[in-house]
Amino acid sequence: MSRLVPGVTRPAPFAIAIDGAMIPAHPGETLAAAMVAAGAYRMRDDRSGAPRGMLCNMGTCSECFVWIAMEDGWRRRRACLTLAEDGMRIATHEAPL
Amino acid sequence: MIDPALFDIAIIGGGPAGQAAAQQTLAAGLSTTMIDEQARPGGQILRQPPPAFAVKGWMAGRLYRPLRRLLAQTEADARLKWRGATSVAGIERIGDHFRLTLSGTHGGTLLARRVLIAAGCYDMPVAMPGWTLPGVMSAGAVQTMLKSQQVVAGQPIVLLGSHPLLLVLATQILDAGGEVAAVLMPQTYGRMVLAALPYLAGAMFTPGPLMAAGAAMARLRRAGVPLMMGARPVGFTGDGRLEAVDYAWCGRTHRIAAQAAAVSYGFLPQSDLPRQVGAAVRWARPAGGWETICDGAMRSSIPGLYVAGETTGVAGADAAMAEGTIAGIAMAMDAGARAPFDMARAQARRARLQPFINLLRAVADPGDVWPLATPETLLCRCEDISVAQVAATIDRLPAMADASAVKHRCRIGMGLCQGRSCEHALVRRIAAARGCDPDAVAPFRTRFPARPLPFDEIIG
Ligand SMILES: Cc1cc2nc3c(=O)[nH]c(=O)nc-3n(C[C@H](O)[C@H](O)[C@H](O)COP(=O)(O)OP(=O)(O)OC[C@H]3O[C@@H](n4cnc5c(N)ncnc54)[C@H](O)[C@@H]3O)c2cc1C
Ligand code: FES
Repeated sequence: MSRLVPGVTRPAPFAIAIDGAMIPAHPGETLAAAMVAAGAYRMRDDRSGAPRGMLCNMGTCSECFVWIAMEDGWRRRRACLTLAEDGMRIATHEAPL
Repeated sequence: MIDPALFDIAIIGGGPAGQAAAQQTLAAGLSTTMIDEQARPGGQILRQPPPAFAVKGWMAGRLYRPLRRLLAQTEADARLKWRGATSVAGIERIGDHFRLTLSGTHGGTLLARRVLIAAGCYDMPVAMPGWTLPGVMSAGAVQTMLKSQQVVAGQPIVLLGSHPLLLVLATQILDAGGEVAAVLMPQTYGRMVLAALPYLAGAMFTPGPLMAAGAAMARLRRAGVPLMMGARPVGFTGDGRLEAVDYAWCGRTHRIAAQAAAVSYGFLPQSDLPRQVGAAVRWARPAGGWETICDGAMRSSIPGLYVAGETTGVAGADAAMAEGTIAGIAMAMDAGARAPFDMARAQARRARLQPFINLLRAVADPGDVWPLATPETLLCRCEDISVAQVAATIDRLPAMADASAVKHRCRIGMGLCQGRSCEHALVRRIAAARGCDPDAVAPFRTRFPARPLPFDEIIG
């Protein structure tokens, strides 16, 4: 919906899972871009459980720290600097066991 | 992973400053590597779309032409050893050279005889009620999301703050087909004109940006987007995410619905790496943060370490480019080589830009139009420390306490961002409590790493 369409050609999208819900992401997009485009603004929770999301989109503020399922377990990465990959699983609240 | 190569030159940052410097050192025959957290060179002003995207007329404006030319030359230069998607987390001086610790796709370490830090700046985070709600973003975040990812970060969007960059951003969103609800600027029109007056005559030598601002205002008017001067942002509200922006206007508080907000009260120089290696810095005026001190040839106080662009004080892309050229020439000269461009000409080019830079700083100065935080407002977003907690800690400390003393007592600045979001605000508060200049308040001692470094990448 908020992806610009006229004049922009993107490769066909794949799906990534945000807290179990599937959203589309195009090859080359950052996780932050795919999430914001899908209206998924929440990227982490603070100590009180309140949601937080992207602030700087340039790697400086660390507000976009999400959990990503990797081969050897869940890892935290900055969503604004991490490229989306086909089939990626993301958790925003805490790392599932 | 240890990189055995010793480069003549390592450039941190692939923005206009870093690229302009690389042109000179490469032409002088010096081996040069460039490291950037972003996957592609360009810096913040030309944050590029992913290589797999095709974007028609990307950043086509006339003002961007010299920057685009420089970028094309940089990308075509096979001599440059480019390391994208790589953060510099540490810098140390060892004997007569430097060691950089890297993280990301190409982690490990790297050695260089001379280093240029051209790390740019970042949007000043400004604490106000509700600013931690998802959907409240910095103007730079919204702009880079648009430029590089071709995504409008939310609509309708409210743009707010004292920086005229908001006008440019508003037109970019409109041109992209996005919906701007309003642009709220806290300074009155009269204040803006008064602030600009002393610098106006000098700035006429570089009319481009002034004309762009005028054109942006006309564009907003045509699109029916209210540009409200003297409208003071009060806070953000919403249930779990931003739903509305409150602002004070003509003595009453108003509410405007929004899915996203872009905030801009100015920019702070990136200073973690210069401070980590011990380079002298000073409080940047008027917006704050620390600019690295340098001589006319961009040499820092550390032999072999150079700085250029926003790292030396926020002055925009043209100044960054000019300073990069100067730094490149100086690095070549100091290495006993010869750069193609003439030093005196490069310095004159930089000097010509100063009147407009002064004008922009005066106009954007948030000095008397800061939004107000409440006691509950979080000042430190990483450790969730409120204004009240910080104020109480400052009150209890001896009169000469510095930023680190406050940090150790209440944890402000101990989180992942290393204080980049809160340090400037804390220093202002300590200075106000002590009745001194911010320059007299010692900032946090900067620690390794300068970027959150996953443990698996340090050992990997
Ligand atoms: C988000 C944002 C958007 C902006 N948009 C505009 C605009 O549209 N128009 C305008 O006129 N000005 C804009 N500016 C102002 C901008 O700073 C200048 O126009 C110009 O880009 C400055 O050039 P520079 O070379 O000094 O720094 P930059 O262009 O910021 O380049 C610095 C580079 O260093 C990299 N870097 C920083 N720290 C590290 C590290 N530790 N490790 C590795 N790499 C690192 C960054 O990724 C960046 O690419 C923007 C600023 C910001 C912060
Ligand atoms: S949004 Fe600031 S680090 Fe990603």
